[in-house]
Amino acid sequence: MRAVSCAPAVGSAAEPAECAGLYVHIPFCSAVCPYCDFAVQTGSAAQRAALVSLLRAESAQWGTWERPFDTVYFGGGTPSLLDAGQLDQMLAAVRSGLPVRFDARLFLEANPEDVTPERIGEWRSLGVSFLSLGVQSFHDRELRALGRRHDGRGARRAVEACLEGGFDTVSVDLMFGLPDQDLAAWSENLDIVLELGPDHVSCYQLTIHEGTAYGRRRARGRLAELPESDQADFFAYTHARLADGGRAAYEVSNFARTARHRSRHNLKYWRHVPYLGLGPSAHSFDGARRWWNHRALGDYAKRITRGERAIEAGESLDGEALALEALMLGLRTVEGIDLAGYRLRYGIDLPGLNRRLIATLVEEGLVRCDSSALSPTRSGLAVADGLAARFRLA
Amino acid sequence: MKNVRNFCIIAHIDHGKSTLADRLIQACDGVGAREFRDQVLDDMELERERGITIKSNAISLAYPAKDGQTYRLNLIDTPGHVDFSHEVRRSLMACDGAIIIVDATQGVEAQTVANLYLAMEHDLELLPVVNKIDLPAADVDRVLEEIDQDLGLDPFSALAVSAKNGVGIDRVLEGIVEHLPPPSGDPEAPLKALVFDARYDVYRGVVLSCRICDGSLAAGDRVRFMHAGTEYEVHEVGYSGLRREKTDRLPTGAVGYVITGIKTIRDVGIGDTLTRCRRPAEAPLPGYQPARPVVFSSIYPMSSDEYPALSEAIDKLALNDAALVYQKDASAALGFGYRCGFLGLLHLDVVQERLRREFDLSLVLSAPSVLYRVRTNDGALHEVDNPGLWPDPGTIHGVEEPWIRASILVPEKYMGAAIELCRQHRAASMTTTFLARGRLEVAVEMPLAEVLFDFYDRLKSVTRGYGSFDYEERDYRAGDIVKVDILVHHEKVDALAFLAHRDKARARALHYCEQLAESIPRHQFRIPIQGAIGGSIISRATINAFRKDVTAKCYGGDVSRKRKLLEKQKKGKERMKLVGSVEIPQDAFVSVLRTDRA
Repeated sequence: MRAVSCAPAVGSAAEPAECAGLYVHIPFCSAVCPYCDFAVQTGSAAQRAALVSLLRAESAQWGTWERPFDTVYFGGGTPSLLDAGQLDQMLAAVRSGLPVRFDARLFLEANPEDVTPERIGEWRSLGVSFLSLGVQSFHDRELRALGRRHDGRGARRAVEACLEGGFDTVSVDLMFGLPDQDLAAWSENLDIVLELGPDHVSCYQLTIHEGTAYGRRRARGRLAELPESDQADFFAYTHARLADGGRAAYEVSNFARTARHRSRHNLKYWRHVPYLGLGPSAHSFDGARRWWNHRALGDYAKRITRGERAIEAGESLDGEALALEALMLGLRTVEGIDLAGYRLRYGIDLPGLNRRLIATLVEEGLVRCDSSALSPTRSGLAVADGLAARFRLA
Repeated sequence: MKNVRNFCIIAHIDHGKSTLADRLIQACDGVGAREFRDQVLDDMELERERGITIKSNAISLAYPAKDGQTYRLNLIDTPGHVDFSHEVRRSLMACDGAIIIVDATQGVEAQTVANLYLAMEHDLELLPVVNKIDLPAADVDRVLEEIDQDLGLDPFSALAVSAKNGVGIDRVLEGIVEHLPPPSGDPEAPLKALVFDARYDVYRGVVLSCRICDGSLAAGDRVRFMHAGTEYEVHEVGYSGLRREKTDRLPTGAVGYVITGIKTIRDVGIGDTLTRCRRPAEAPLPGYQPARPVVFSSIYPMSSDEYPALSEAIDKLALNDAALVYQKDASAALGFGYRCGFLGLLHLDVVQERLRREFDLSLVLSAPSVLYRVRTNDGALHEVDNPGLWPDPGTIHGVEEPWIRASILVPEKYMGAAIELCRQHRAASMTTTFLARGRLEVAVEMPLAEVLFDFYDRLKSVTRGYGSFDYEERDYRAGDIVKVDILVHHEKVDALAFLAHRDKARARALHYCEQLAESIPRHQFRIPIQGAIGGSIISRATINAFRKDVTAKCYGGDVSRKRKLLEKQKKGKERMKLVGSVEIPQDAFVSVLRTDRA
């Protein structure tokens, strides 16, 4: 095990550099959901077992990675498909090859149907502190349409069991904008989740991707995303309802009871903090470069077993691209952009270059701006994609 | 002189003028088989495609007649459209007679009548020809009756032909010799030569087409343009076959070419009179009128980096189009371009099509305008065609706009529709005259501005394609003309401002607003689009703001894709025109201004 500490980063003596995040992609699901465009497959028992050694080998390849990790995120896919022994071995594998801090927070995605008292106990003893449950809906009809393997009752029981399981944070994932789902049906889901009371909620609007079963249905005209005005209504309602229920948004689709309950791992993506991704399709970012692994398990495995890195492609980001990314990501968060930090890191005086624009955006009710931060309002979050394009960076 | 015939062919569009010309040329063997292309006189691609003749041209044919003598037939081509009536007049002045073609299936049309009047004005002897007798729908008897009743010509002198199949061409040639008069003129008098056309030749400079009215003209002569007062030495004279046939001297009555080393067509006043510097004529030939644009529009390149290419293209085009006037123009919304004046709508279309096709340019054209006369309170008179130069309404004492006299020929059953259409276009003093066979002519006066937009298309539509239309400019009359500004997000878009009659302003402004609302993408704020006269809003449309435009998930794997999308978006913005804080795609201008014309 490597000795690690979060040393101050070069060039920013004022602040200790933030630790990096480690993401481990588990590409297996018991069935592939019709809306999902992640790199997943059902996978055989032998493949699941093989993944453990592949990840161990891949971790060892990154011995040069210096920035310590203070989060380890098992995502997928369905990490809860793996048994406790496999998860334990994976954790040991990454800890042996990489600078994972002793007190790193452990994140695990789980499906409700995998939640049992025994599994909860196993995850607890593994050290999972943030458990994210892929509930999606509490309505049986909606769950069937989504191709999920649990029902509403099972979802409630799973949430309750996890909440009693002693995790630091339990998060519930929900989806809105489902086919035939009206605002009333959606608001019931929100009522239920607030009544259950997890400290963290993620609410994702259904996005139809090409190459998925939903994508093919849309191509045949049998499925459509919500009209924009409805999307806006759902979005605004969601944010208002959850804020009323004590779960204020901190990102476009993420809500937490207090700052402590926010996903420390996911915040790294939005704060442009480095992360390393292991496993098929995983993306990595070291502060100046981004690269990603082969998506297909076979391609990934072939390269790792040959002793090569599994990188499919990558890009080097110049100053302007980095600044644009940071802006675009920052505007997705309620905290927004720390202007001093932004100037320090990218050498860009954002308010100086965009005085008129910012005044306009404030007038349009899309952002707030004071001497320290530029942050989106709720209406601004709802249109965050276009916001960054309006700024001048040079 | 008695063995010369100077004539032209006049016809409504598509009645077969060019085909007949081709057959006459072939019959006289003026063109070798290899050189022959269909419709040799229409040598611009566009003329060929549209079946119209834009620039006049002349060709000299040697015809051995049945009387045993050889005649020199000078066929002077004339533009077949109303916009070019000015050019038509010049060509007619070079002629002594004309063949007037009537389509055996269509009968007499508006332009046939208009051309007839023009020919009669110039005292031309007329030879009626009924063409397309080969078609199943041909009704020669009916057409002969129309020639008698509507044109007042002798139906017994009419020749029935099929130019396409070459039937009756020999009779036409004999008819020209027998029926049309030889030129008159005094060979002993001082030189008077009518300049009725000019073309730019890259090797020789400007080549003039002239009709020698009195005296004669030879190479080496020093000549003077009597209106312009400029003098040149004649380098070469000759007859225009398909190739130039150089000769020593053009005698009285001849139609031929003259090369004097003039560098640009703008130095030539078409219609001017040439005389010899030694022993000059006392007075020029009558009827000279410089070309005067009546329709105006600004032309901008779609992307500003095409402006140099546009400049070059317009300069080149103007080498052969003396009627095209242009000057630099700049729009806040569309950048640099040219304000251009045209003889009419067709001329405008032809110019923009040629710029697009021959020079491969993408263009945006501002709404066409006529030339208004604005009297301001200080008594000054301003001629204004550009909305950008419209005086402050508070200073305007009165405005006059150009009026036309239009002639519309329709079958009787569409009379009501045609009259209603005219009424909607502010027509005044309508008179209807019944013609032969259930057709009538509606003679009507209306403002020129009213026919700039959709009049002709709507006439075609309400008469199921049977209506035909021709016009001539008349005079200037008082009109309640206003400038309409189009505001996008409270900012005026200069390129979209237009001048219109107060009664028409609202509907057109609304159309603009609605079109813009459709073609400007949504923004993150609400965009009002308004039409305004001065401070008062007369029409509006709204583009609602985006309220939801954010992807649900943005984690490690999504960042690159999203950034690339943003970079593309930012690039796209650079190509858009920024009006205030609103990005307007070029397409929006194109779609608004195009549908405005359609």
